[in-house]
Amino acid sequence: MNGPLIVNALAGLLIVTSLLVTSAGNATRAARLYAAQSLVLVLIFLTLARTHGAHELYWWSVSAFVTKVVLVPWIMLRTLATLPEKEDLPGVLSPAALIVVAALIVGLSCYAVSSVHLAVVDPLKPALGVSLGHFLLGLVCIVSQRNLLKQVFGFCLMENGSHLTLALLAWRAPELVEIGIATDAVFAVVIMVVLVRRIQRSMNTLDVRQLTALKG
Amino acid sequence: MTSMELLPALLLVPLVAAALAFASRWAGAAAKPLVTLIHAVSMTVLLLGTLRLAGELLQVDQIAALHGWMQVDSLGAVFLGLVGVVGFLIGVYAIGYMNYELAHGAIDVGRLCNFYGIFNLFVFTMLLAVTANNVIMMWVAVEATTLGSAFLVGFYGKRSSLEAAWKYVVICPVGVAFGLYGVVLVYSNGVAVLPVVGDASSWTALLFNAQLLDPTLVKLAFVFVLIGFGTKAGLFPMHAWLPDAHSEAPSPISALLSAVLLNCAMLIVLRFGMIAAKAVGPSFPQTLLLIFGLLSVGVAAFFIVVQRDIKRLLAYSSVENMGLIAFAFGLGGPLGILAGLLHTINHSLVKALMFCGSGNILIKYGTPAMDSVKGILKVAPITGALFIAGALALGGVPPFNIFVSEFMVVTAGLAAGHPWLIGLCLLLLTVVLAGLVRMLAATVFGAAPDNVPRGDTGALTLLPMGVLLVAMLVMGIRAPAPVGQLLARAAAQVQTGSQPQIAQAPAPGTAVAPTPDATPAAR
Repeated sequence: MNGPLIVNALAGLLIVTSLLVTSAGNATRAARLYAAQSLVLVLIFLTLARTHGAHELYWWSVSAFVTKVVLVPWIMLRTLATLPEKEDLPGVLSPAALIVVAALIVGLSCYAVSSVHLAVVDPLKPALGVSLGHFLLGLVCIVSQRNLLKQVFGFCLMENGSHLTLALLAWRAPELVEIGIATDAVFAVVIMVVLVRRIQRSMNTLDVRQLTALKG
Repeated sequence: MTSMELLPALLLVPLVAAALAFASRWAGAAAKPLVTLIHAVSMTVLLLGTLRLAGELLQVDQIAALHGWMQVDSLGAVFLGLVGVVGFLIGVYAIGYMNYELAHGAIDVGRLCNFYGIFNLFVFTMLLAVTANNVIMMWVAVEATTLGSAFLVGFYGKRSSLEAAWKYVVICPVGVAFGLYGVVLVYSNGVAVLPVVGDASSWTALLFNAQLLDPTLVKLAFVFVLIGFGTKAGLFPMHAWLPDAHSEAPSPISALLSAVLLNCAMLIVLRFGMIAAKAVGPSFPQTLLLIFGLLSVGVAAFFIVVQRDIKRLLAYSSVENMGLIAFAFGLGGPLGILAGLLHTINHSLVKALMFCGSGNILIKYGTPAMDSVKGILKVAPITGALFIAGALALGGVPPFNIFVSEFMVVTAGLAAGHPWLIGLCLLLLTVVLAGLVRMLAATVFGAAPDNVPRGDTGALTLLPMGVLLVAMLVMGIRAPAPVGQLLARAAAQVQTGSQPQIAQAPAPGTAVAPTPDATPAAR
């Protein structure tokens, strides 16, 4: 089988799942879709590990599976279960607008990486473009969502994007680095979720538009 | 203990102290004295350890440890020294401040233990950021500083402080993720071109071999790094988290954020700036630093003038000063770099004093709003006098230290042939001075409100400020010889390290070779 071809195809699937996470009707569904997307990421790591013959990337897949497919969705679902009120907080972008924005971002990202000349990623340029695009799509999710928990998912999407970039460009980095990054990601989500719960308790809402006490 | 052992041991101290502080909550009635003792010991060891390391770096060029994962050079020593000295003084101040908060029921003993625990954890992450030599670990460390301090920003659990904490944990990791892209670009380029593949994550090795790197990639990477770590350093337009976080955090934490944390991020910008300067010539990184620096000074200056909240004003002043530091590095040359480093030290000292002062004001008045804070000199004369001195210092008035570094920035700018930029910068600094004088006029003088009890806030909250004032005056009149020497060595390191012509060799007497990162070379 052609490794780079599979990686590039899976990277495309990553974008689709990321759009689904962003446009998911409620945070519970977003959490499940995020788990699915992380599974795609793990599959990419496994394919890359086979392609490069790199044992490090097998470890990356294991740690990504534990942290992103299991731990983070579990934390999110558990938090959702404790939040009393289910609010309807639609995002700024409609699904159709989101698809247009995503197409533009991925197109621009692929164009941007086309000028990158690194032997290690030459056959994987589409995937590299997608990883950058995915990172930026996470940013779009953060700025376009009103629900605080959906913003946390936006951060997770950005994180998956940069994780893919790392797997494509920096898989030779020492294992300790990967441990640091994975720990950071889980801690970031835990801290964000704890803050979300405290905000919900104090203000009785998850609407980011209610966070208006500080200006100027 | 040798310095190579001391370096990792120094990082362990606040980490262990944090664990002990968290555990102290179970000590029953002894919890408060116990956790205070743990914190005090940790801060004292931090001070002594950093001073010893900084002192040794007057003799050697570099101290490395853990197979090159950590290193302190002369440049790092300046920032490590700041974490140690300013961190210690703020740590002492925190004891006085939090004792007051505890006595007045703002927090309970359990939260006091959490406070000292997270405080020490935060100090640990900052130490990691200034001593990391692995470029990806630099990113991990800066990210960890955000995660380590998020709960300190939202410590009071009020609506506004939770909002500030939320902005902090969203904007900073998002911003710093851009930094990760920059880091990864440099790293992956390093993997392709460096003689030893395992060296590609070592900053010393990347700098040493910077001329082998692809110029386009290095430029792109530096833009990402500047945006990413510039977010954490508080540069405009990525500064949006800073005024909220600095104003809503407990005052000792505001001081720590402003006087210590911002520098850690700036150090990493500077380190990548050195790589960029050596790889593509100094004008590219310098121009970007000039632009972001001057914009930060400009925007912050106008926010300073209109603020009605003392802590928010001081927060914008941090944006302004970090901008000025970036501007000085952007001017380049031996003088510009020296001015930037000197201003980093001076700003830290003054801003620590000012945020501690704002803490004392909060203790007395219960609010940082200028409309309510009147007659500080009558209510708390010592705090008032220290606050006046700090504000004037911040405005660049002699004989205080910031005057010297700002004067040096002006000289460096004229030497570098930027008279118009310097003129503009001076105009903006005048606006800043006006804002600070306006704050003083509104708060320090006048009749004190009747409901505010008279009397100063106690020795532990005043002594650190007094020490800071002495340090400001000393640095303003004549910097002590070791500080001057260290600064000169650091400036020379930045200057020669980023010059493409000079082939660097490890200086005689260095503790280790410059590329000690040891992962297998070929796979």
